[in-house]
Amino acid sequence: MNYDLFGLELNVWVDALIRVLLIVGFMTVSVMGLIYIERKILARFQRRLGPTRTGPMGLLQSLADALKLIGKEDLRPKSADPWTFEFAPYVVFIPVFLGFVIVPFLFGWQVRVIELGLLYFVATSSVNIVGWVMAGWGSDNRYAMIGGMRAAAQGISYELPLVLALLAVAMIASSLNLQEIVSAQGRVPFVVWQPLAFFIFFVAALAEMNRPPFDIPIGESEVVGGPFVEYSGFRWSVFFLAEYAALFILSAIGAAVFLGGWAWPLGEELGRGWQLILMSAKTGMLIFLVFWVRASVPRLRIDQLMGYSWKVLLPLALAQVLVNGAVLVYDWPKQVLLVTGVMGLLALFWVTERAVRQPRTRPAMTIAQSEAAS
Amino acid sequence: MVTPRALEHEFETQDLMINMGPQHPSTHGVFRMVLTIDGEVVRDVVPYVGYMHRGAEKLCETMDYRQGIGYMDRTEYLANFNAELSYVMAVEKLLDIDVPERAQWIRMILCELNRISSHFMFTGAFGTDVGVFGTAFTYSFIQREIVQDLFEEITGDRLMYAYFRPGGLAWEVTDNFVARVHEVLADMRQGVIDIDGLLTHNEIFVARTKGVGYISGQDAIDYGMSGPALRASGVDLDIRKAEPYLYYDQIDFDVPLGEHGDVYDRFVLRVEEIRQSIRIVEQCIERLQPGPIQPERMPRMLRTPPGEVYIRTEAPRGEYGIYLVSKGGNRPYRLKIRSACLSNLQALKHMTVGQYVADAVIVLGSIDIVLCEVDR
Amino acid sequence: MTTDEPQTEAPPSFDDTIWSTVDGALAGISATPERGVLDLIVHIPPDEVLRGLTALRRHEALDFDYLRSLTAVDNEDEGIDVVYHLYSTTHRHNVTVKTTLSNDDLTVDTATTVWRAANWLERETAEMFGIRFNNHPDPRTLLMPEDMTDTFPLRKDHPLAEIEVLQGEGMGYTEEGQ
Repeated sequence: MNYDLFGLELNVWVDALIRVLLIVGFMTVSVMGLIYIERKILARFQRRLGPTRTGPMGLLQSLADALKLIGKEDLRPKSADPWTFEFAPYVVFIPVFLGFVIVPFLFGWQVRVIELGLLYFVATSSVNIVGWVMAGWGSDNRYAMIGGMRAAAQGISYELPLVLALLAVAMIASSLNLQEIVSAQGRVPFVVWQPLAFFIFFVAALAEMNRPPFDIPIGESEVVGGPFVEYSGFRWSVFFLAEYAALFILSAIGAAVFLGGWAWPLGEELGRGWQLILMSAKTGMLIFLVFWVRASVPRLRIDQLMGYSWKVLLPLALAQVLVNGAVLVYDWPKQVLLVTGVMGLLALFWVTERAVRQPRTRPAMTIAQSEAAS
Repeated sequence: MVTPRALEHEFETQDLMINMGPQHPSTHGVFRMVLTIDGEVVRDVVPYVGYMHRGAEKLCETMDYRQGIGYMDRTEYLANFNAELSYVMAVEKLLDIDVPERAQWIRMILCELNRISSHFMFTGAFGTDVGVFGTAFTYSFIQREIVQDLFEEITGDRLMYAYFRPGGLAWEVTDNFVARVHEVLADMRQGVIDIDGLLTHNEIFVARTKGVGYISGQDAIDYGMSGPALRASGVDLDIRKAEPYLYYDQIDFDVPLGEHGDVYDRFVLRVEEIRQSIRIVEQCIERLQPGPIQPERMPRMLRTPPGEVYIRTEAPRGEYGIYLVSKGGNRPYRLKIRSACLSNLQALKHMTVGQYVADAVIVLGSIDIVLCEVDR
Repeated sequence: MTTDEPQTEAPPSFDDTIWSTVDGALAGISATPERGVLDLIVHIPPDEVLRGLTALRRHEALDFDYLRSLTAVDNEDEGIDVVYHLYSTTHRHNVTVKTTLSNDDLTVDTATTVWRAANWLERETAEMFGIRFNNHPDPRTLLMPEDMTDTFPLRKDHPLAEIEVLQGEGMGYTEEGQ
């Protein structure tokens, strides 16, 4: 069996090897680029300069950091569970890596076009929670354990709204194949028809990536890095790689599914070069949004995080799926989707606002109880 | 069938003890607390202090009065002028000397600017505690930096000023002092707006801080809390108003009070205090007249008559008291530094128990502790 | 300075202070006033100090609900003074309560039952001066190491370390060593 790669007829194994190498190379470079860009952007938000010393404009900073991390000693606490501790980074990393298989960079530019691409993506991407828990448990550190447990709770809770938001789009596109989903959007991207689903997807993706304001498992100021607290050197950098790779993949998928991927909303077909630029711009926009959020908002508390997922996002995502189903079954015009989507979005904002402005509550425990507990 | 009762017996949970500090990013120095947590809920807190104990009180007993000034800077390194003020006022009270008017006004300006810089330090550190990645911190620190530049121009030092002297000031301020203060104030006004936009009105910030770390006014008094942490609980106790020192009785300013005694109130109150301090400095600058900054005749060696005095001033973190006992001679017989943070920290357990772990961090942050002052 | 020193001089007037109210509140307790630089100082013997403090806290016209500071002063041969600085947030007045412990019996009742603020302050005073506060709820050390309970740094007989000379001739190096 032969596969077609850039017009070459190759043996299946050679083909697979080349594709994997391409992806690994691409991922490493793009993650280093992302780290550099994030540091620069955050610095601008914070009235700083960011890296300037290593290479022109600090461009080589990420490379220097990577070399430093690889050169560092790989420490393992004496009391840590060796297998769990050492394998956790890879269990976090590999599912993210697998996600690259279906990312539609351009029409035909995919590692594999899978008919159930979206399903494959949501299935693989949720496995890395196991790695987080492994890291938290195996480190034999209480901060790490709290962090790992938080990661598990958060990962599982936000998986559902994320999947349902993607499902809503898949219903409209009548496909799980990402290439077809992009093509189905044509000139009007799905974000117009599914604003609520897009918002839910974005929020849930932030939580999935453990990005602020949902960086509760890592929580610098509380659990000091959570599951990563005992990691150093190469293993730690693998976690880092996974984090930024996930950021890239989720943004790329968000761009493809909701923003129309390589489609240009105004004109007809564009050349490959322009399509690539469009796709990058849309992905970059989402990534920038993530950085922006990171620079400006505080962290949520664990109960608020869980409540927001189960009480706000999940019901609304379910409602969206129901509305989409009704539209499909009764063949209502597409404008219904837009109206209901905007209404849903407004409802979401209203509920969020109301949750924030609710009257202050005194702590559940009274002073007498706290005295008794001590 | 699994009934809740059976569940209760099947899964016996055990509380987890975690040790926070002395090297933890959000314990603000070398503070350690041992949290007993049940899931994510704090059941008990045992604070440990003393890692920075240097025996400042004992050391001051071996130094003459002017040498002790430098030590006050080292106890309260974020509000050095306020700390120095208590000390020099105590010495002045025992010596019974009058301070020239100009020196008093300059002291007031510097103390209030120091309060502003200290509160900005708080907003920055607190932003990090709540989880803003550095933005609040950098924005606050720029403001602190601006104030510190002014202090550096005047005193020649960025942190340990040692500028106040019993009787007045060490030397005259720079010629462009008034213009520079106006510049600094303009920056501070912008800084307050920035912090308001970044934190005070941020929905997540509000959701995180409102209703957290509650303490009633009565309890706060009982624990000996002071400063913004006490006023957030609605207790109107500001030593600048209650027992005016310097010329605070001639100045028009408000003492902001909180209603709910929670973390949010403590934060908002400090931001409001920055505004009030700007008002105070503006008025002081207007009243500033040329004149001497030291009394006509100051002895080379200060010798106090026997006696004792307890001087309290309103430092940014609360009441900074100096209890000075003299038995004659040129050095204190006993010097006790009443630390506002030590008393405020006592209430930590009261405020934290029953809250989430993440809230323990922001409750600690909201007290705004300086460990150097706690341990002395 | 001992407690009975004010009486040896001409009896000073305390009319402008809150002494008359304090005296009324401290009925049955042998308290002697002294005029401090800022505040009124009241001397109470150690065995009555807790009763005195409680009375000052409870008395309506005094209402000393705020413990500003609690510390001690080592007067060497004359014993150790424990000093309480009280304040009333409602009436805005101050008083200083002093009690002199003799060197043979450095114990006094804890004030934590009156103000919770006294907790840490007493712990600090206890470890620094070797005073025992009876019935203290949490008699651990505060600032000092946990096992360092035999030495009391703020007492006058506690030696200071020698000041190291880090500059000039006495740097501790011999001339030949250079």
